[in-house]
Amino acid sequence: MRATAFLAVVLSLTSFAATAADPLPFGRGSWAKLSQAHAGRPTVIHLWGLTCAPCLVELPHWGKLAAERPDLALVLVAADPVPQDPKRLADVLTRAGLGKAESWSFTDRFYERLRYEIDPAWAGELPRTVMIDAKGEVTVLPGVADIARVRAWLDTQRSSRP
Amino acid sequence: MRLLIALTTLVLSVSAAVAQHHSHGKPGSTPEAFTAAPAFAPDGTLWLARPMVDRIVVLRSTDLGKSFSAPVTVTPEPMNLDWGPDARARITVDPWGDLIVTFGIFQDKNFNGRAFFARSGDGGASFTRPRPITANATSQRFEIAGVDPAGRVFATWLDKRNVAKARAAGKAYAGAALAFAWEDGEAGFGDTSIALDNTCECCRLGLAFAGAGRPAVVFRNIFPGSVRDHGVITFHDPRTPGPVRRVSVDDWKIEACPHHGPSIAVAADGSYHVAWFTDGARRKGLFYARAESADSPFTAPRALSRPDRQPARPYLLAHGPDLHLVWKEFDGDKVAVRWQVSHDSGRHWSDPRTVAETADASDHPLLVADKQRAYLSWLTKAEGYRLIPLGDQP
Repeated sequence: MRATAFLAVVLSLTSFAATAADPLPFGRGSWAKLSQAHAGRPTVIHLWGLTCAPCLVELPHWGKLAAERPDLALVLVAADPVPQDPKRLADVLTRAGLGKAESWSFTDRFYERLRYEIDPAWAGELPRTVMIDAKGEVTVLPGVADIARVRAWLDTQRSSRP
Repeated sequence: MRLLIALTTLVLSVSAAVAQHHSHGKPGSTPEAFTAAPAFAPDGTLWLARPMVDRIVVLRSTDLGKSFSAPVTVTPEPMNLDWGPDARARITVDPWGDLIVTFGIFQDKNFNGRAFFARSGDGGASFTRPRPITANATSQRFEIAGVDPAGRVFATWLDKRNVAKARAAGKAYAGAALAFAWEDGEAGFGDTSIALDNTCECCRLGLAFAGAGRPAVVFRNIFPGSVRDHGVITFHDPRTPGPVRRVSVDDWKIEACPHHGPSIAVAADGSYHVAWFTDGARRKGLFYARAESADSPFTAPRALSRPDRQPARPYLLAHGPDLHLVWKEFDGDKVAVRWQVSHDSGRHWSDPRTVAETADASDHPLLVADKQRAYLSWLTKAEGYRLIPLGDQP
């Protein structure tokens, strides 16, 4: 039941027009919900932050890739250690051409816990990209992502589809 | 007295909630700092500097943190305080018991900052109107002040004036500059000098003194190839910063700043002690190293904890013949502050011991000492402020 409600939220968000709604609040347990909702489908989760300068430079590249590849299931998670204004996060994503993408932001200051749920070995460096294939296999790209690698990964997902 | 304790508990625990109401249209629309910085006065009074949304307050305890006085506001008008995860309002006590509060604000949405200080000469009853530490208004952040063994107040911070200059000349400039000034009586801080250009721009600085007029500053530097490893500068005299001594070659090449600054202590025997976080190609996690003197190289880094426990926020303190080291780490459920002590100038350390835990958000763990002993000073969301004496350990 809860999962259905959650999916409804996600679906209503993804069907939104070009202007981004406020990001979904990412708190304790959100990672499990997020992964569950996308399980069985290749998904790219991009962790970024408003206080991370290279992230802001990188975002438009993700916007371009999203426009170019309809097969890209992209989820953006703003992982600032100090929770940021949702409106500002949404504005930045819209300007980067990511207004339609599924978006979350850390709203809990217990960032150790949120990071641990995503990956115990992640000390919080941003940006960071987590690619999860249909079987649940995870590929992590720390730092600014090589978009060519993401494209190649997407191609692999397409060719391995039944 | 009971009322006072109740009042203080109220102020300390619900300030964030109250803040949401009086200065925000929407909860979470403005990020807030969650820090408490301690200092002991020569008479044993514990002072705390705390940001409260848009102002800085100072609290006083005469019973080792069990109860606090009503907060005294340092900032007469609301200010856009720096809430960065490695920034901190601080309080320093000079040998005469006078107080110096330092803090930073954001001037704009691009994280350009301004460093301020305010003084109290009446035992914290009132403070001077906050004044900028430096006249240049480009951007300053991560200010830290300390009192040298002769009683002079030294301040250092990360400054972007040379970034602006380079940009105006059409040149690139990586990072920020390490700037410093000495306090000059009633006039405030004297002229600003730049100790080093091209340091990393958003990590806290660590400050200790190798002697009167001889600050030792540790910082995340930018080494060739955008490698953000740590360096120490020791001053030859008050106006002359020495060369950069690299603490270790971690080879952390990153075009960003990780908001994870180092800590330094200089022991009574002149030895140097540094703890830091890195995610370098050569090593990842939290580390400690020592150097015999201001000129000798640092030893091979020793790992503190394991990388999969998110070890972070180290803090070192030299107290008499002892060295104390704390950091925090996470086990998937609770954040623990781990503590080690050394009685032989950092050659050998006790096994790490957990001195405090929390299961929610927390400030960095800090160390502070009065004449008798060292304490952990830690602000956590669930427990509030705690001052925990560090017991004897073989």
